[in-house]
Amino acid sequence: MNEIITIASGTWKNVLRMKVVYFLIFCALVLVASAINYDVLSMGLHKELMIDVALVLNSIAALLVVISLTFEIPKELREGVASTLLAKPLGRFQYLLGKMIGCVVTGAVICFLIAIGSFIVFNISFAQRIDVTMFQSHLLIILALIPMSALGVLFAVLLPEVIAPIITVVVVWFAFSTKFLANIWGLYGGILPDLDLFNFKANAVYQVNIPWMYILLVAVWGICYAAFALSLASIIFERKDIK
Amino acid sequence: MDEYVIQTEGLSKCYRHWFSRGPKALDDLTISVPKGSVFGFLGPNGAGKTTTIKILMDLIKPTEGSAMVLGKPAYDVDVKKRIGFLPDSPAFSKQLSAREFLSICAKLLRIPSDVRNETIEEALHTVKMADHAKEKLGSFSRGMLQRIGVAQAILNKPELLILDEPLLGLDPYGRQEFKQIIVEQQKKGTSVFFSSHILSDVEEICDRIAILKKGHLLCTGELDSLLAASGVNVVIAPGADQIFKELMADAEGSVKNPDGGWTLSFPHNAPPLIEKIEGLKKEFPDALTISASREKLEDFFFRTVENANV
Repeated sequence: MNEIITIASGTWKNVLRMKVVYFLIFCALVLVASAINYDVLSMGLHKELMIDVALVLNSIAALLVVISLTFEIPKELREGVASTLLAKPLGRFQYLLGKMIGCVVTGAVICFLIAIGSFIVFNISFAQRIDVTMFQSHLLIILALIPMSALGVLFAVLLPEVIAPIITVVVVWFAFSTKFLANIWGLYGGILPDLDLFNFKANAVYQVNIPWMYILLVAVWGICYAAFALSLASIIFERKDIK
Repeated sequence: MDEYVIQTEGLSKCYRHWFSRGPKALDDLTISVPKGSVFGFLGPNGAGKTTTIKILMDLIKPTEGSAMVLGKPAYDVDVKKRIGFLPDSPAFSKQLSAREFLSICAKLLRIPSDVRNETIEEALHTVKMADHAKEKLGSFSRGMLQRIGVAQAILNKPELLILDEPLLGLDPYGRQEFKQIIVEQQKKGTSVFFSSHILSDVEEICDRIAILKKGHLLCTGELDSLLAASGVNVVIAPGADQIFKELMADAEGSVKNPDGGWTLSFPHNAPPLIEKIEGLKKEFPDALTISASREKLEDFFFRTVENANV
């Protein structure tokens, strides 16, 4: 377990030390705050637009963190960082799990900062308290990082470095549309993760309650899917030559 | 079993290109590295040195054959606790400082937390990088990264050091210090297995070598026995010009000595010539000194590689 935490901490230390991360968080909060000026676009629904923008930007931040993971694993393999680490008493599954946990923690920290920032902006703009559904929706985005990161790891070990991020974005995009896909192909909850389970932006905007039991079950589902994707990634990675 | 720290048997590796197999990077390699030795693993580019080292570290899976490291199969994760490894071009996370990186390595090597800091400091001092411990690895030169690479390899006081091109990127001082580190490690009982292109350094510190070409093992054994008695050196005293003229035509090489005399070298495998030299020695005992010459590793390497039919 210590080895996994070591790899994970190395990953989040690496990302969270990049100044560009904080610049992006700042930009996201400026965008959230600017929602108050979108009179025409929001048709007077400033508050709803701001909640929606905050959640969308948080989802994009989560996706960016996952994309960075799909770059990082092949880069570590190419540059020889992975061979230095895997020459230590560290299993390949442990390496991948550490990377995934590192990605989830990094994403969670960034999403948390954006969420807190957007709550502060919201509070200053409308002098209203933060509804629990807003908090729950941001929490669901953070939980969505679990299956998304596992997918990122799977594609990072399965596909070449230049293709992996693109495929990850496409798959995540489709995975957020599984309800739509279900009508066409009957793929609902199939090979693609059903990330739409984590999408409750409308509930946050219109302040419709989300049961805590639902959030718990979705978290369990996310962990199960991540275990499946990570096991698949591990089987592939075990056979891979690390040059 | 414990006599050898590395044993490979029939080790072969064929890299796949999509669905077809490429040429063999390694072909039927069988070597044994005795405990306590400093083993030089030599060969031109593409000989299969790095492939072998990566198989030993379980970074690459062999197509055929087996590799045992410290008496365990190379794929045994736990055996890596007892090994120090330096890859051919060490690259580490650029955002981390030298100390942080070594701390990650120490944790992965399961070095107890109460001695971890002390061990890291000791390793940093050994590679003379203690003053740069807080600097980010991204700001380091290649030579400095190589030193940090060596530091992470010796962190766990390994029983076996496997080093891929450790002298690459080091300046002459760095090379000298590195050789001292290897000698000190050997004194502590660590076996060292390393690949290098710098043959003079290999000759200086190795007691055994193996030479590879295109994945085939050309020779392996004790350095002294491989290089021994490859020729004859004749030192001619100053003023013995007649003898010098007589032998010069048959000599492979000649060097003028500071005293005005000459040192001529002759091949070992020319009996009539040796008889002639011995005859002159009987006739002019004070004018000639004969000694067996040891071949240079560089000459031996080129001769072995160029004569190999692979």
